[in-house]
Amino acid sequence: MTREFAWRWMRFLWLAVGMLFVCFPLYWMAVTALTPRTELFRPPYDVIRFSYSLENIRELLSATQFLTFMGNSLIVALGTVVINVMASTLAGYALSRFEFRGKKTFVAATLWTYMFPPILLAIPLYLVFSYIGLRNSYGGLILAHVSISLPLNVWIMWQYFQVVPRSLEEAAWTSGASRLRALIEVLLPSALPGIISAAIFSFALSWNDFAFAFILQTDIAMFTLPVGLATFVEQSAIHWGLIMASSLIVSLPTFALVFFLQRYLMHGFSIGK
Amino acid sequence: MANTNQAREGAWISAAIAPSLILLLIVAYLPILYALSLAFYDKSAFRPDMEWVGLANAEWLLAQKDFWAAMGRSVVFTLGTVGFQLAFGLFFGLLLNQAIAGRSVMRSLVILPYLLPTIVIGLVFRWILNPEFGVVNQLLLSSGLIDRPINFFGGIDAAMPSIIITTGWQYGSFAVLLILARLQSINPRLYEAARSCGAGTWRCFVDVTLPNLRTTLLLIALLRGIWMFNKFDLIWIITQGGPLQATETLPIYIYEIAFRDFDFGRAAAGCVAIFIILLLFSFIYFKFFNPTKEVEVNR
Repeated sequence: MTREFAWRWMRFLWLAVGMLFVCFPLYWMAVTALTPRTELFRPPYDVIRFSYSLENIRELLSATQFLTFMGNSLIVALGTVVINVMASTLAGYALSRFEFRGKKTFVAATLWTYMFPPILLAIPLYLVFSYIGLRNSYGGLILAHVSISLPLNVWIMWQYFQVVPRSLEEAAWTSGASRLRALIEVLLPSALPGIISAAIFSFALSWNDFAFAFILQTDIAMFTLPVGLATFVEQSAIHWGLIMASSLIVSLPTFALVFFLQRYLMHGFSIGK
Repeated sequence: MANTNQAREGAWISAAIAPSLILLLIVAYLPILYALSLAFYDKSAFRPDMEWVGLANAEWLLAQKDFWAAMGRSVVFTLGTVGFQLAFGLFFGLLLNQAIAGRSVMRSLVILPYLLPTIVIGLVFRWILNPEFGVVNQLLLSSGLIDRPINFFGGIDAAMPSIIITTGWQYGSFAVLLILARLQSINPRLYEAARSCGAGTWRCFVDVTLPNLRTTLLLIALLRGIWMFNKFDLIWIITQGGPLQATETLPIYIYEIAFRDFDFGRAAAGCVAIFIILLLFSFIYFKFFNPTKEVEVNR
Protein backbone atom coordinates (compact mmCIF):
# COMPACT_ATOMS: atom_id res chain seq x y z
CA MET A 1 0.00 0.00 0.00
CA THR A 2 2.61 2.53 1.05
CA ARG A 3 4.87 1.32 -1.73
CA GLU A 4 2.14 1.77 -4.29
CA PHE A 5 1.52 5.24 -2.88
CA ALA A 6 5.22 6.15 -3.06
CA TRP A 7 5.35 4.99 -6.70
CA ARG A 8 2.38 7.16 -7.58
CA TRP A 9 4.00 10.23 -6.07
CA MET A 10 7.34 9.50 -7.68
CA ARG A 11 5.65 9.27 -11.06
CA PHE A 12 3.79 12.48 -10.46
CA LEU A 13 6.97 14.26 -9.42
CA TRP A 14 8.91 13.07 -12.47
CA LEU A 15 6.11 14.09 -14.77
CA ALA A 16 6.04 17.54 -13.16
CA VAL A 17 9.78 17.98 -13.68
CA GLY A 18 9.46 16.84 -17.29
CA MET A 19 6.52 19.12 -18.00
CA LEU A 20 8.41 22.04 -16.49
CA PHE A 21 11.29 21.36 -18.89
CA VAL A 22 8.89 21.27 -21.85
CA CYS A 23 6.72 24.23 -20.88
CA PHE A 24 9.06 26.71 -19.26
CA PRO A 25 10.71 27.99 -22.48
CA LEU A 26 7.27 28.61 -24.00
CA TYR A 27 6.02 30.25 -20.82
CA TRP A 28 9.05 32.52 -20.78
CA MET A 29 8.53 33.44 -24.44
CA ALA A 30 4.98 34.56 -23.65
CA VAL A 31 6.01 36.43 -20.50
CA THR A 32 8.82 38.27 -22.28
CA ALA A 33 6.55 39.14 -25.20
CA LEU A 34 4.14 40.83 -22.79
CA THR A 35 6.73 42.66 -20.68
CA PRO A 36 7.34 46.33 -21.50
CA ARG A 37 10.82 47.22 -22.70
CA THR A 38 11.76 49.33 -19.67
CA GLU A 39 11.36 46.33 -17.35
CA LEU A 40 13.23 44.02 -19.73
CA PHE A 41 16.46 45.90 -19.25
CA ARG A 42 16.31 45.62 -15.48
CA PRO A 43 17.15 42.07 -14.48
CA PRO A 44 16.69 40.16 -12.22
CA TYR A 45 13.22 39.24 -13.39
CA ASP A 46 10.39 37.84 -11.32
CA VAL A 47 9.74 34.40 -12.73
CA ILE A 48 6.06 34.64 -11.89
CA ARG A 49 4.56 37.95 -12.86
CA PHE A 50 1.16 39.53 -12.95
CA SER A 51 1.45 42.80 -14.87
CA TYR A 52 1.46 42.59 -18.62
CA SER A 53 1.29 45.04 -21.51
CA LEU A 54 0.76 44.85 -25.24
CA GLU A 55 3.43 47.50 -25.88
CA ASN A 56 5.77 45.06 -27.68
CA ILE A 57 3.10 43.74 -30.00
CA ARG A 58 2.00 47.24 -30.90
CA GLU A 59 5.58 48.29 -31.62
CA LEU A 60 6.19 45.11 -33.61
CA LEU A 61 3.27 45.77 -35.92
CA SER A 62 3.94 49.48 -36.39
CA ALA A 63 7.73 49.92 -36.32
CA THR A 64 9.12 46.75 -37.95
CA GLN A 65 8.65 44.86 -41.20
CA PHE A 66 6.81 42.09 -39.39
CA LEU A 67 3.64 42.46 -41.45
CA THR A 68 5.56 42.35 -44.75
CA PHE A 69 7.20 39.11 -43.68
CA MET A 70 3.87 37.71 -42.56
CA GLY A 71 2.28 38.54 -45.92
CA ASN A 72 5.10 36.77 -47.74
CA SER A 73 4.82 33.76 -45.45
CA LEU A 74 1.07 33.52 -46.02
CA ILE A 75 1.32 33.79 -49.82
CA VAL A 76 4.02 31.12 -50.02
CA ALA A 77 2.25 28.79 -47.57
CA LEU A 78 -1.09 29.07 -49.39
CA GLY A 79 0.56 28.43 -52.76
CA THR A 80 2.28 25.38 -51.30
CA VAL A 81 -1.02 24.11 -49.91
CA VAL A 82 -2.92 24.50 -53.19
CA ILE A 83 -0.29 22.73 -55.30
CA ASN A 84 0.16 19.98 -52.72
CA VAL A 85 -3.51 19.24 -52.25
CA MET A 86 -4.21 18.99 -55.98
CA ALA A 87 -1.18 16.94 -56.92
CA SER A 88 -1.24 14.60 -53.93
CA THR A 89 -4.98 13.89 -54.09
CA LEU A 90 -4.69 12.85 -57.73
CA ALA A 91 -1.58 10.77 -57.09
CA GLY A 92 -3.12 9.13 -54.03
CA TYR A 93 -6.20 8.25 -56.07
CA ALA A 94 -4.21 6.67 -58.90
CA LEU A 95 -1.96 4.75 -56.52
CA SER A 96 -4.84 3.29 -54.53
CA ARG A 97 -7.24 2.48 -57.37
CA PHE A 98 -5.05 1.24 -60.23
CA GLU A 99 -2.37 -1.34 -60.71
CA PHE A 100 0.42 -0.25 -63.01
CA ARG A 101 4.03 -0.86 -63.77
CA GLY A 102 6.49 1.11 -61.67
CA LYS A 103 3.93 1.83 -58.93
CA LYS A 104 6.10 0.46 -56.16
CA THR A 105 9.13 2.31 -57.52
CA PHE A 106 7.15 5.55 -57.60
CA VAL A 107 6.05 5.18 -53.97
CA ALA A 108 9.54 4.24 -52.82
CA ALA A 109 11.12 7.12 -54.75
CA THR A 110 8.58 9.54 -53.32
CA LEU A 111 9.15 8.43 -49.75
CA TRP A 112 12.87 8.54 -50.32
CA THR A 113 12.65 12.18 -51.42
CA TYR A 114 11.25 12.92 -48.00
CA MET A 115 14.61 12.02 -46.49
CA PHE A 116 16.56 14.48 -48.67
CA PRO A 117 18.37 17.04 -46.54
CA PRO A 118 17.52 20.69 -47.35
CA ILE A 119 21.12 21.64 -48.06
CA LEU A 120 21.34 18.96 -50.77
CA LEU A 121 18.30 20.46 -52.55
CA ALA A 122 18.90 24.11 -51.76
CA ILE A 123 22.29 24.42 -53.48
CA PRO A 124 21.12 23.21 -56.91
CA LEU A 125 17.80 25.07 -56.59
CA TYR A 126 19.71 28.27 -55.79
CA LEU A 127 21.83 27.88 -58.94
CA VAL A 128 18.93 26.94 -61.22
CA PHE A 129 16.63 29.62 -59.81
CA SER A 130 19.38 32.25 -60.18
CA TYR A 131 19.73 31.22 -63.79
CA ILE A 132 16.03 31.39 -64.68
CA GLY A 133 15.24 34.34 -62.41
CA LEU A 134 13.09 32.53 -59.85
CA ARG A 135 15.19 33.58 -56.87
CA ASN A 136 13.46 36.14 -54.64
CA SER A 137 10.10 35.19 -56.10
CA TYR A 138 7.04 33.61 -54.53
CA GLY A 139 6.89 30.94 -57.24
CA GLY A 140 10.44 29.77 -56.63
CA LEU A 141 10.01 29.42 -52.89
CA ILE A 142 6.66 27.68 -53.37
CA LEU A 143 8.34 25.14 -55.66
CA ALA A 144 11.09 24.60 -53.10
CA HIS A 145 8.51 24.02 -50.38
CA VAL A 146 6.65 21.59 -52.62
CA SER A 147 9.84 19.55 -52.84
CA ILE A 148 9.83 18.98 -49.07
CA SER A 149 6.08 18.57 -48.56
CA LEU A 150 4.73 16.75 -51.62
CA PRO A 151 6.41 13.39 -50.86
CA LEU A 152 4.77 13.14 -47.44
CA ASN A 153 1.41 14.26 -48.81
CA VAL A 154 1.40 11.72 -51.65
CA TRP A 155 2.05 9.12 -48.99
CA ILE A 156 -0.74 10.42 -46.70
CA MET A 157 -3.26 10.51 -49.55
CA TRP A 158 -2.27 7.07 -50.79
CA GLN A 159 -2.73 5.62 -47.32
CA TYR A 160 -5.98 7.50 -46.92
CA PHE A 161 -7.61 6.42 -50.19
CA GLN A 162 -6.80 2.81 -49.36
CA VAL A 163 -9.04 3.02 -46.33
CA VAL A 164 -11.99 4.50 -48.29
CA PRO A 165 -13.93 1.42 -49.45
CA ARG A 166 -14.10 0.82 -53.18
CA SER A 167 -17.75 -0.21 -52.86
CA LEU A 168 -18.72 3.47 -52.43
CA GLU A 169 -17.34 4.33 -55.81
CA GLU A 170 -18.65 1.19 -57.48
CA ALA A 171 -22.15 1.96 -56.24
CA ALA A 172 -21.91 5.35 -57.94
CA TRP A 173 -20.74 3.74 -61.19
CA THR A 174 -23.65 1.29 -61.29
CA SER A 175 -26.04 4.18 -60.91
CA GLY A 176 -24.49 5.64 -64.04
CA ALA A 177 -21.90 8.12 -62.74
CA SER A 178 -18.67 8.49 -64.69
CA ARG A 179 -15.31 7.82 -63.04
CA LEU A 180 -14.69 11.56 -62.72
CA ARG A 181 -18.09 12.24 -61.15
CA ALA A 182 -17.69 9.32 -58.77
CA LEU A 183 -14.30 10.71 -57.77
CA ILE A 184 -15.56 14.23 -57.19
CA GLU A 185 -18.94 13.52 -55.63
CA VAL A 186 -18.34 10.30 -53.72
CA LEU A 187 -14.67 9.73 -53.11
CA LEU A 188 -13.42 13.24 -52.33
CA PRO A 189 -15.96 13.91 -49.56
CA SER A 190 -15.05 10.66 -47.82
CA ALA A 191 -11.35 11.40 -48.25
CA LEU A 192 -11.77 14.91 -46.81
CA PRO A 193 -9.97 14.19 -43.50
CA GLY A 194 -6.96 12.99 -45.50
CA ILE A 195 -7.07 16.09 -47.68
CA ILE A 196 -7.25 18.32 -44.61
CA SER A 197 -4.23 16.54 -43.07
CA ALA A 198 -2.31 17.05 -46.29
CA ALA A 199 -3.26 20.74 -46.34
CA ILE A 200 -2.22 21.21 -42.70
CA PHE A 201 1.08 19.51 -43.24
CA SER A 202 1.88 21.53 -46.34
CA PHE A 203 1.02 24.72 -44.53
CA ALA A 204 3.10 23.79 -41.48
CA LEU A 205 6.17 22.76 -43.48
CA SER A 206 6.06 25.95 -45.55
CA TRP A 207 5.28 28.24 -42.60
CA ASN A 208 8.08 26.70 -40.52
CA ASP A 209 10.76 26.43 -43.20
CA PHE A 210 13.92 28.37 -42.55
CA ALA A 211 16.60 26.73 -44.74
CA PHE A 212 15.07 27.23 -48.20
CA ALA A 213 13.75 30.71 -47.56
CA PHE A 214 17.11 31.70 -46.07
CA ILE A 215 19.08 30.46 -49.08
CA LEU A 216 16.68 31.43 -51.89
CA GLN A 217 15.33 34.79 -50.69
CA THR A 218 18.12 37.35 -50.42
CA ASP A 219 16.00 40.47 -50.85
CA ILE A 220 14.55 41.61 -47.51
CA ALA A 221 11.26 42.56 -49.15
CA MET A 222 10.78 38.87 -50.04
CA PHE A 223 11.72 37.41 -46.64
CA THR A 224 9.29 35.06 -44.95
CA LEU A 225 8.74 35.26 -41.19
CA PRO A 226 11.46 32.80 -40.10
CA VAL A 227 14.16 34.55 -42.14
CA GLY A 228 12.87 37.99 -41.21
CA LEU A 229 12.91 37.13 -37.51
CA ALA A 230 16.48 35.88 -37.78
CA THR A 231 17.52 39.38 -38.92
CA PHE A 232 15.82 40.94 -35.87
CA VAL A 233 18.54 39.53 -33.61
CA GLU A 234 21.21 41.42 -35.54
CA GLN A 235 19.36 44.76 -35.46
CA SER A 236 20.29 46.76 -32.38
CA ALA A 237 17.04 48.72 -32.45
CA ILE A 238 15.07 45.52 -31.95
CA HIS A 239 15.09 44.23 -28.39
CA TRP A 240 14.21 40.81 -26.97
CA GLY A 241 10.69 41.89 -26.07
CA LEU A 242 9.97 42.44 -29.76
CA ILE A 243 11.72 39.23 -30.77
CA MET A 244 9.69 37.18 -28.31
CA ALA A 245 6.49 38.97 -29.33
CA SER A 246 7.13 38.01 -32.94
CA SER A 247 8.02 34.45 -31.93
CA LEU A 248 4.74 34.24 -30.06
CA ILE A 249 2.74 35.39 -33.08
CA VAL A 250 4.58 33.03 -35.44
CA SER A 251 3.73 30.16 -33.08
CA LEU A 252 0.00 30.89 -33.03
CA PRO A 253 -0.88 28.58 -35.96
CA THR A 254 0.96 25.78 -34.15
CA PHE A 255 -0.98 26.35 -30.95
CA ALA A 256 -4.22 26.32 -32.94
CA LEU A 257 -3.16 23.12 -34.68
CA VAL A 258 -2.31 21.26 -31.51
CA PHE A 259 -5.42 22.20 -29.62
CA PHE A 260 -8.08 22.08 -32.32
CA LEU A 261 -6.87 19.77 -35.03
CA GLN A 262 -5.04 16.96 -33.27
CA ARG A 263 -7.16 14.33 -34.99
CA TYR A 264 -5.94 15.34 -38.45
CA LEU A 265 -2.43 15.78 -37.27
CA MET A 266 -2.06 12.16 -36.26
CA HIS A 267 -2.30 10.93 -39.86
CA GLY A 268 1.00 12.46 -40.72
CA PHE A 269 2.66 11.45 -37.51
CA SER A 270 2.97 7.81 -38.38
CA ILE A 271 5.92 8.93 -40.52
CA GLY A 272 6.25 12.64 -39.62
CA LYS A 273 9.41 14.63 -40.08
CA MET B 1 -14.36 -2.86 -75.55
CA ALA B 2 -11.69 -4.21 -73.23
CA ASN B 3 -9.13 -2.23 -75.19
CA THR B 4 -10.88 1.11 -74.89
CA ASN B 5 -11.37 0.43 -71.18
CA GLN B 6 -7.70 -0.28 -70.80
CA ALA B 7 -6.76 2.80 -72.77
CA ARG B 8 -9.10 4.90 -70.70
CA GLU B 9 -7.63 3.48 -67.51
CA GLY B 10 -4.14 4.20 -68.80
CA ALA B 11 -5.12 7.80 -69.51
CA TRP B 12 -6.50 8.14 -65.97
CA ILE B 13 -3.33 6.80 -64.44
CA SER B 14 -1.06 9.07 -66.42
CA ALA B 15 -3.19 12.14 -65.84
CA ALA B 16 -3.37 11.53 -62.10
CA ILE B 17 0.28 10.67 -61.55
CA ALA B 18 1.70 13.28 -63.92
CA PRO B 19 1.42 16.40 -61.71
CA SER B 20 3.24 14.82 -58.77
CA LEU B 21 5.78 13.09 -60.96
CA ILE B 22 6.62 16.22 -62.95
CA LEU B 23 6.81 18.37 -59.82
CA LEU B 24 9.09 15.93 -58.04
CA LEU B 25 11.25 15.65 -61.15
CA ILE B 26 11.78 19.38 -61.47
CA VAL B 27 12.06 20.29 -57.80
CA ALA B 28 13.81 17.22 -56.38
CA TYR B 29 15.29 14.61 -58.68
CA LEU B 30 16.80 16.80 -61.41
CA PRO B 31 18.25 19.28 -58.88
CA ILE B 32 19.86 16.41 -56.98
CA LEU B 33 21.32 15.02 -60.18
CA TYR B 34 22.57 18.49 -61.04
CA ALA B 35 24.17 18.84 -57.60
CA LEU B 36 25.84 15.46 -57.88
CA SER B 37 27.21 16.12 -61.35
CA LEU B 38 28.43 19.57 -60.30
CA ALA B 39 30.92 17.80 -58.04
CA PHE B 40 33.00 17.00 -61.13
CA TYR B 41 33.16 20.57 -62.36
CA ASP B 42 34.95 23.71 -61.33
CA LYS B 43 32.15 26.18 -60.77
CA SER B 44 32.73 29.19 -58.61
CA ALA B 45 31.89 32.88 -58.51
CA PHE B 46 35.08 33.63 -60.45
CA ARG B 47 34.28 31.08 -63.12
CA PRO B 48 30.70 31.34 -64.34
CA ASP B 49 31.30 28.75 -67.07
CA MET B 50 31.81 25.21 -65.87
CA GLU B 51 34.98 23.27 -66.47
CA TRP B 52 35.30 19.50 -66.06
CA VAL B 53 37.85 18.73 -63.36
CA GLY B 54 37.12 15.07 -62.65
CA LEU B 55 37.81 14.07 -59.09
CA ALA B 56 39.72 17.22 -58.15
CA ASN B 57 36.90 18.55 -55.94
CA ALA B 58 36.54 15.25 -54.11
CA GLU B 59 40.31 15.04 -53.59
CA TRP B 60 40.37 18.59 -52.29
CA LEU B 61 37.50 17.90 -49.89
CA LEU B 62 38.94 14.67 -48.52
CA ALA B 63 42.24 16.44 -47.85
CA GLN B 64 40.58 19.14 -45.72
CA LYS B 65 41.03 18.82 -41.96
CA ASP B 66 37.88 20.93 -41.55
CA PHE B 67 35.83 18.43 -43.52
CA TRP B 68 36.74 15.54 -41.23
CA ALA B 69 36.29 17.71 -38.14
CA ALA B 70 32.81 18.71 -39.36
CA MET B 71 32.02 15.06 -40.07
CA GLY B 72 33.10 14.16 -36.53
CA ARG B 73 30.94 16.96 -35.06
CA SER B 74 27.97 15.73 -37.09
CA VAL B 75 28.44 12.26 -35.61
CA VAL B 76 28.68 13.67 -32.07
CA PHE B 77 25.65 15.88 -32.64
CA THR B 78 23.63 13.00 -34.15
CA LEU B 79 24.48 10.48 -31.42
CA GLY B 80 23.95 13.05 -28.67
CA THR B 81 20.63 14.39 -29.84
CA VAL B 82 19.18 11.03 -30.96
CA GLY B 83 20.20 9.53 -27.60
CA PHE B 84 18.57 12.45 -25.82
CA GLN B 85 15.39 12.06 -27.88
CA LEU B 86 15.16 8.33 -27.18
CA ALA B 87 15.58 8.94 -23.44
CA PHE B 88 13.02 11.77 -23.57
CA GLY B 89 10.63 9.57 -25.55
CA LEU B 90 10.92 6.65 -23.14
CA PHE B 91 10.55 8.93 -20.13
CA PHE B 92 7.34 10.60 -21.27
CA GLY B 93 6.05 7.58 -23.17
CA LEU B 94 6.14 5.39 -20.07
CA LEU B 95 4.79 8.08 -17.75
CA LEU B 96 1.97 9.13 -20.07
CA ASN B 97 1.02 5.55 -20.88
CA GLN B 98 -0.45 5.16 -17.41
CA ALA B 99 -3.83 6.53 -16.47
CA ILE B 100 -3.08 9.89 -14.89
CA ALA B 101 -5.14 13.04 -14.47
CA GLY B 102 -4.72 15.58 -17.27
CA ARG B 103 -3.02 13.10 -19.58
CA SER B 104 -4.46 14.40 -22.84
CA VAL B 105 -3.54 17.99 -22.02
CA MET B 106 0.00 16.91 -21.17
CA ARG B 107 0.21 14.91 -24.37
CA SER B 108 -0.75 18.00 -26.38
CA LEU B 109 1.84 20.07 -24.55
CA VAL B 110 4.56 17.52 -25.24
CA ILE B 111 3.77 17.58 -28.98
CA LEU B 112 3.94 21.38 -29.13
CA PRO B 113 7.72 21.91 -29.45
CA TYR B 114 7.90 19.51 -32.38
CA LEU B 115 5.47 21.59 -34.42
CA LEU B 116 6.82 25.03 -33.56
CA PRO B 117 8.80 26.78 -36.26
CA THR B 118 12.52 26.14 -35.80
CA ILE B 119 13.18 29.88 -35.76
CA VAL B 120 10.99 30.23 -32.65
CA ILE B 121 12.89 27.50 -30.85
CA GLY B 122 16.23 28.98 -31.80
CA LEU B 123 15.26 32.48 -30.66
CA VAL B 124 13.57 31.36 -27.44
CA PHE B 125 16.58 29.31 -26.37
CA ARG B 126 18.98 32.09 -27.29
CA TRP B 127 16.92 34.32 -25.04
CA ILE B 128 16.48 32.09 -22.00
CA LEU B 129 20.11 30.91 -22.15
CA ASN B 130 21.46 34.42 -22.78
CA PRO B 131 24.54 35.04 -20.57
CA GLU B 132 23.52 38.59 -19.63
CA PHE B 133 19.73 38.65 -19.52
CA GLY B 134 18.88 34.94 -19.63
CA VAL B 135 16.47 33.68 -17.03
CA VAL B 136 18.21 30.30 -16.70
CA ASN B 137 21.47 31.94 -15.66
CA GLN B 138 19.57 34.18 -13.31
CA LEU B 139 17.90 31.21 -11.62
CA LEU B 140 21.14 29.23 -11.41
CA LEU B 141 22.99 32.22 -9.93
CA SER B 142 20.36 33.06 -7.35
CA SER B 143 20.07 29.44 -6.25
CA GLY B 144 23.83 29.37 -5.75
CA LEU B 145 24.47 26.48 -8.15
CA ILE B 146 26.95 28.59 -10.14
CA ASP B 147 28.80 31.75 -9.26
CA ARG B 148 29.44 33.02 -12.78
CA PRO B 149 26.91 33.08 -15.62
CA ILE B 150 27.38 30.25 -18.14
CA ASN B 151 27.81 31.31 -21.76
CA PHE B 152 25.73 28.42 -23.08
CA PHE B 153 25.88 28.99 -26.84
CA GLY B 154 28.93 31.22 -26.81
CA GLY B 155 31.31 29.01 -24.86
CA ILE B 156 33.50 26.64 -26.83
CA ASP B 157 32.83 23.72 -24.50
CA ALA B 158 29.23 24.53 -23.68
CA ALA B 159 27.97 25.24 -27.23
CA MET B 160 27.66 21.67 -28.53
CA PRO B 161 25.90 20.23 -25.45
CA SER B 162 23.56 23.25 -25.38
CA ILE B 163 22.66 22.78 -29.05
CA ILE B 164 22.13 19.05 -28.49
CA ILE B 165 19.71 19.68 -25.64
CA THR B 166 17.85 22.37 -27.60
CA THR B 167 17.45 20.04 -30.58
CA GLY B 168 16.37 17.25 -28.25
CA TRP B 169 13.78 19.56 -26.75
CA GLN B 170 12.36 20.25 -30.21
CA TYR B 171 12.28 16.68 -31.53
CA GLY B 172 11.79 14.58 -28.39
CA SER B 173 8.03 14.59 -28.87
CA PHE B 174 8.37 12.64 -32.12
CA ALA B 175 9.82 9.80 -30.05
CA VAL B 176 7.16 10.25 -27.35
CA LEU B 177 4.36 9.84 -29.91
CA LEU B 178 5.78 6.76 -31.60
CA ILE B 179 6.65 5.10 -28.28
CA LEU B 180 3.26 5.93 -26.76
CA ALA B 181 1.45 4.50 -29.78
CA ARG B 182 3.48 1.31 -29.55
CA LEU B 183 3.01 0.97 -25.78
CA GLN B 184 -0.74 1.24 -26.15
CA SER B 185 -0.78 -1.60 -28.65
CA ILE B 186 1.01 -4.07 -26.36
CA ASN B 187 -1.39 -6.80 -25.34
CA PRO B 188 -2.22 -6.33 -21.60
CA ARG B 189 -2.36 -10.14 -21.25
CA LEU B 190 1.42 -10.19 -21.63
CA TYR B 191 1.72 -8.14 -18.44
CA GLU B 192 -0.84 -10.30 -16.65
CA ALA B 193 1.11 -13.40 -17.63
CA ALA B 194 4.38 -11.85 -16.43
CA ARG B 195 2.83 -10.78 -13.13
CA SER B 196 1.34 -14.21 -12.51
CA CYS B 197 4.85 -15.60 -12.86
CA GLY B 198 5.89 -13.25 -10.08
CA ALA B 199 7.50 -10.47 -12.12
CA GLY B 200 7.68 -7.04 -10.51
CA THR B 201 7.50 -3.65 -12.23
CA TRP B 202 11.13 -3.74 -13.30
CA ARG B 203 11.03 -7.29 -14.70
CA CYS B 204 7.82 -6.48 -16.56
CA PHE B 205 9.61 -3.54 -18.14
CA VAL B 206 12.68 -5.55 -19.15
CA ASP B 207 10.87 -8.69 -20.30
CA VAL B 208 7.69 -7.30 -21.85
CA THR B 209 7.96 -3.58 -22.58
CA LEU B 210 11.50 -3.33 -23.95
CA PRO B 211 11.31 -6.25 -26.41
CA ASN B 212 8.04 -4.83 -27.75
CA LEU B 213 9.59 -1.40 -28.14
CA ARG B 214 12.73 -2.58 -29.89
CA THR B 215 11.52 -1.98 -33.45
CA THR B 216 10.06 1.41 -32.56
CA LEU B 217 13.29 2.54 -30.92
CA LEU B 218 15.27 1.40 -33.94
CA LEU B 219 12.90 3.24 -36.29
CA ILE B 220 13.25 6.45 -34.29
CA ALA B 221 17.03 6.13 -34.17
CA LEU B 222 17.17 5.60 -37.93
CA LEU B 223 14.76 8.32 -39.10
CA ARG B 224 15.92 10.88 -36.56
CA GLY B 225 19.50 9.84 -37.20
CA ILE B 226 19.39 10.78 -40.86
CA TRP B 227 17.54 14.04 -40.20
CA MET B 228 19.78 15.05 -37.32
CA PHE B 229 22.91 14.27 -39.30
CA ASN B 230 21.71 16.78 -41.89
CA LYS B 231 20.35 19.37 -39.46
CA PHE B 232 21.07 22.83 -40.71
CA ASP B 233 18.45 25.37 -39.65
CA LEU B 234 18.53 25.22 -35.85
CA ILE B 235 22.33 25.19 -35.64
CA TRP B 236 22.60 28.07 -38.09
CA ILE B 237 19.97 30.13 -36.27
CA ILE B 238 21.63 29.69 -32.90
CA THR B 239 25.39 29.63 -33.45
CA GLN B 240 26.08 29.74 -37.22
CA GLY B 241 28.61 26.99 -36.52
CA GLY B 242 30.48 28.97 -33.88
CA PRO B 243 32.01 29.86 -31.48
CA LEU B 244 35.12 29.31 -33.61
CA GLN B 245 33.99 26.06 -35.22
CA ALA B 246 32.60 24.32 -32.14
CA THR B 247 29.23 23.58 -33.71
CA GLU B 248 30.22 23.48 -37.39
CA THR B 249 28.59 20.24 -38.53
CA LEU B 250 28.76 18.89 -42.08
CA PRO B 251 25.75 20.78 -43.52
CA ILE B 252 27.05 24.06 -42.05
CA TYR B 253 30.50 23.38 -43.49
CA ILE B 254 29.05 22.71 -46.94
CA TYR B 255 26.81 25.78 -46.72
CA GLU B 256 29.88 27.90 -46.03
CA ILE B 257 31.81 26.51 -48.99
CA ALA B 258 28.83 27.28 -51.22
CA PHE B 259 27.67 30.65 -49.95
CA ARG B 260 30.68 32.18 -48.23
CA ASP B 261 33.39 31.00 -50.64
CA PHE B 262 30.94 30.71 -53.57
CA ASP B 263 32.68 27.53 -54.65
CA PHE B 264 29.76 25.42 -55.82
CA GLY B 265 31.86 22.61 -57.31
CA ARG B 266 33.54 21.90 -54.01
CA ALA B 267 30.26 22.32 -52.11
CA ALA B 268 28.73 19.78 -54.50
CA ALA B 269 31.49 17.33 -53.59
CA GLY B 270 30.28 17.80 -50.00
CA CYS B 271 26.73 17.11 -51.19
CA VAL B 272 27.97 13.81 -52.65
CA ALA B 273 29.33 12.88 -49.22
CA ILE B 274 25.96 13.70 -47.63
CA PHE B 275 24.22 11.77 -50.39
CA ILE B 276 26.28 8.63 -49.77
CA ILE B 277 25.45 8.73 -46.07
CA LEU B 278 21.77 9.26 -46.96
CA LEU B 279 21.89 6.19 -49.23
CA LEU B 280 23.28 4.12 -46.40
CA PHE B 281 20.57 5.17 -43.93
CA SER B 282 17.72 4.89 -46.43
CA PHE B 283 18.89 1.46 -47.57
CA ILE B 284 18.57 0.18 -44.00
CA TYR B 285 15.23 1.95 -43.58
CA PHE B 286 13.64 0.51 -46.72
CA LYS B 287 15.13 -2.93 -46.12
CA PHE B 288 13.91 -3.35 -42.55
CA PHE B 289 10.74 -1.27 -42.37
CA ASN B 290 9.23 -1.74 -45.81
CA PRO B 291 7.27 1.52 -45.70
CA THR B 292 5.83 1.00 -49.18
CA LYS B 293 3.59 -1.92 -48.32
CA GLU B 294 -0.12 -1.30 -48.65
CA VAL B 295 -2.44 -0.78 -45.72
CA GLU B 296 -4.33 -3.92 -44.78
CA VAL B 297 -8.02 -3.18 -44.98
CA ASN B 298 -10.72 -5.38 -43.55
CA ARG B 299 -13.51 -5.45 -46.04
